[in-house]
Amino acid sequence: MSCIHAEHLSKSYGNTKALDDVFLSVKSGQVFGFLGPNGAGKSTIIKLLTTLVSPSSGSLTILGIDATKNPLAIRHQVGVVLQQPSYEPTLSVEKSLEKYGMMWNIPKNERKKRVEILLRDFDLVDIRKKKNEDLSIGQRRRVQVAREFMHDMKLLFLDEPTVGLDPSARRKLLDFLKQKVKTGLTIFYTTHILSEAEYLCDEIAIIDKGKILTINSPDALKNKFGKKKTIKIHLLEKNTIISSLLSNIPDCKVSLNNGTDIVIHSERSESVLLQILKILNENSIEIEDLSAIPTSLEEIFLEMVKYDASNN
Amino acid sequence: MHPIIRLVNRNLTISINPGFLIWQVIFPLIYIFVAGFAYTSLIQEVPFGNKDLGYPAFIASGMIGFNIMNSTLVSGIIIWNDRRHGMFEQIMSGPFTRADYILSNIITIGIVGLISAFLIALVGYPVFFESIEFSIITIPMIIFAAITGSVLFGSIASIISTRLRSSEGFNVIINTIFLFFAFVSTAFYPAEGAPEPLRTAFYINPLTYLVDIIRTGIFGNITEFVILEMTILFSVAATLFVIATKLLTKLDF
Repeated sequence: MSCIHAEHLSKSYGNTKALDDVFLSVKSGQVFGFLGPNGAGKSTIIKLLTTLVSPSSGSLTILGIDATKNPLAIRHQVGVVLQQPSYEPTLSVEKSLEKYGMMWNIPKNERKKRVEILLRDFDLVDIRKKKNEDLSIGQRRRVQVAREFMHDMKLLFLDEPTVGLDPSARRKLLDFLKQKVKTGLTIFYTTHILSEAEYLCDEIAIIDKGKILTINSPDALKNKFGKKKTIKIHLLEKNTIISSLLSNIPDCKVSLNNGTDIVIHSERSESVLLQILKILNENSIEIEDLSAIPTSLEEIFLEMVKYDASNN
Repeated sequence: MHPIIRLVNRNLTISINPGFLIWQVIFPLIYIFVAGFAYTSLIQEVPFGNKDLGYPAFIASGMIGFNIMNSTLVSGIIIWNDRRHGMFEQIMSGPFTRADYILSNIITIGIVGLISAFLIALVGYPVFFESIEFSIITIPMIIFAAITGSVLFGSIASIISTRLRSSEGFNVIINTIFLFFAFVSTAFYPAEGAPEPLRTAFYINPLTYLVDIIRTGIFGNITEFVILEMTILFSVAATLFVIATKLLTKLDF
């Protein structure tokens, strides 16, 4: 079942098109990643999907409800962690969670239970009495994300939730989210940290300049766009003639670093590797180390954004 | 629980703290018991209707209006803080409408205004109890003044908070405007005897109307002019409330 469905969705601010003719379909029970460089339109789409702003044109259905006709009904069923910090400076951490639960009409006893669980899950126990204004950026971010789990929801929007978190807190949060998805929660996740998207998301959309460039699973994206692999060969000794020996290998980009490292980028990496190994063998050049690096989502992302920019 | 009540609960939690309540009582106490008695050598009695009020009683009743005005700053501070600290967007992305948000602020102001009026009435009681003339009409007048005045000044603070983002700008403008309201009014001294231009300025200031109505509520002497002041106060409060609501509705993200 489709949790989010958008057709021809556009949003303009004056003459600026922040989002242009977007088609989107997000299935229930998955993590949908939304990637894009700064200013690509990620926050605009979050604001549209969370009904904070209305679309300039197009149709948008969230959880089967028309977003333009009944936004409040949608907001009752979704959670939102916006990119910008949001907190009440004078409240303590535990009071923030408790009051947020109250705002969502969670019964008092249930609120108490949830506060304790979230304080533990988000490593907030030691700072539970600290006021929000006295917290570090990372601590405040953890409170902001934890707070959203004070209420029940079917769909959660997370707009770059790991900004300001240290690597350990980041991984903990991602694992926490994975657990929540197993219980049936759908997550719409925007980020520009590609490794996070790769780790967490079932499906990924790449957006740039308000347009969606592609939507697919991380693996499918790699298969589709990541044919070019990188192979690194480290020679035992420095070699001065290696450059001329490898100059005639077709369909690849060979770069030589300091005379001992050969880095090959090619879509036909296997056959290129065989040719290089043959040349090295014929010239009695010894290899110390060899490694193949698969294309990361980051490279695909950079390629796509670069390709889109050059086409424009 | 209704969404508006939940938001009022949240507003009161974040805005009423021991420091705020102490300030709300200590500040007027100094005015009533220090300035009130110290200025007695300069202003012995202030004519009010058919009676003469001692200056401490006069200033104590004026402090009720002054304190209502001061406490409604809470409204502007809530909106300004919510915008500055991202809570406005967060609330609007939750199970609330803008109307819920606006109404919850108005109710918060009303509650804070009434608490404030009650506290000062309690504190000031020893100095004005001799002149009190409560009746079935005057008590509702005090409640009317407290709520209408709260809405009026709360709307002014809300309007300012929707237009300004920097804390310096917000503080400078709100303090300047409220300073004008406080001292160009009949809260601290009577209009009679003041130079003509200043007296005119007193009566373009809504705090003067608020204080006059409260004094009538405490000391009696309902006149046609007080009824006119009530009408003006209500009209200005309603107009400012509509403007504040429109500006809040138009706030974008």
